[in-house]
Amino acid sequence: MLESARSRLKAWTVAGIGTAAAIAAAGVLGAFGARHEPLPVLAPASQIDIGEWLLRPLKAYVTAEKYAYGTLLKPGGKALVLEVEMTNRTAKSTKDYFDVLQAGSTVVDPATKPFIVLTRDSTMSPELHPGMPERMAYIWQLRDGAAVPASFDLTVIRKTYKPRDNLYGLPGWFNPTPAGTLTIPVGAGPAGADIQP
Amino acid sequence: MMRKSANIVLLLLAVVFCYGLQISKPHYGDLIGPIPARGKLADTVVGRAFEVHAEKIEFARKLKVDQFGRQKVLTTGGVWAVVTVAFAARAESTVVSVASWRGPTGLTYDQTERLSFMNGLLPVAVDPGLPRKARLIFEVRPDQANNATLLISEKLVAALDSQAEISLGPVTITADGLPGGAVDTLDMAEPL
Repeated sequence: MLESARSRLKAWTVAGIGTAAAIAAAGVLGAFGARHEPLPVLAPASQIDIGEWLLRPLKAYVTAEKYAYGTLLKPGGKALVLEVEMTNRTAKSTKDYFDVLQAGSTVVDPATKPFIVLTRDSTMSPELHPGMPERMAYIWQLRDGAAVPASFDLTVIRKTYKPRDNLYGLPGWFNPTPAGTLTIPVGAGPAGADIQP
Repeated sequence: MMRKSANIVLLLLAVVFCYGLQISKPHYGDLIGPIPARGKLADTVVGRAFEVHAEKIEFARKLKVDQFGRQKVLTTGGVWAVVTVAFAARAESTVVSVASWRGPTGLTYDQTERLSFMNGLLPVAVDPGLPRKARLIFEVRPDQANNATLLISEKLVAALDSQAEISLGPVTITADGLPGGAVDTLDMAEPL
């Protein structure tokens, strides 16, 4: 009886020490530190480097025209247009910019995907080429009857470069994570001035 | 005891051997990559399913195109590079769909997607005995124009298939930062 209690105590002690060591190792490796860190707030009038892209927000406005940069909008609806200069920092032409900017849910329904247009000649989502800055317009359809906001929040999503992915062994950009948020003032219209030179 | 430590030494040796193999041998992505068929401007480069012959390169600041009956002038942040090529299929009909421009520092420019409405661009279908001309149009940075390589393949993922690599040779860059011989506007309505 006493013998079995002692061996049970020994087993519990060993298991307890093992668990404590595992939790301590996880803590040292940073398993508990990564959570709930607030996103950095980025300045709208700055260059935002997210690895794959260099972003320079230029202006935002709401339009009620039928067409915004050649894209047909919903009749009677309004659209939020964000013009941003994007530079491909990688060594290959890419159009991996669909998830780079997410408008805040107070202004735009999170389920609506923006149209992304090259402002130079209204080409819908072309590939952007390495080292050549281009002015792009993100066009979000606003909710029906929504008022024109004075400003809106934007979340910038970055990806991580892997020299070899696990499936094909080819380089690529993976694991989108939020890199920061910024608040962009909504200007009067397409003729408004850029927020940075 | 002796046997145990011998096992550990053997295990460590295996780890070192495997690590050596991993860092010295080509990776999967290199092994299944495209197989280059190399050539120069004005050579005929023969791949597995198609032959290609690059005739000339032109550089321009602007392109004049016809879009659905309307004239349009396309500008670019860099310079337009237009390569006129002639394709021929070898044994069976095929479609050549991908071309890119690799600059001297390795920056790779895919064919522009801003002219997708135009005729005579990739993808082109080629049949044996019926050679066809095509234009490959790129937007490149002027500093990537010199000693560039043209890469042409049938499919986007040219795994274990031939890819034509045509070296385009030296291009002088003039004082205004454009490649030598660059014209202001190139008319794409001209016949190939």
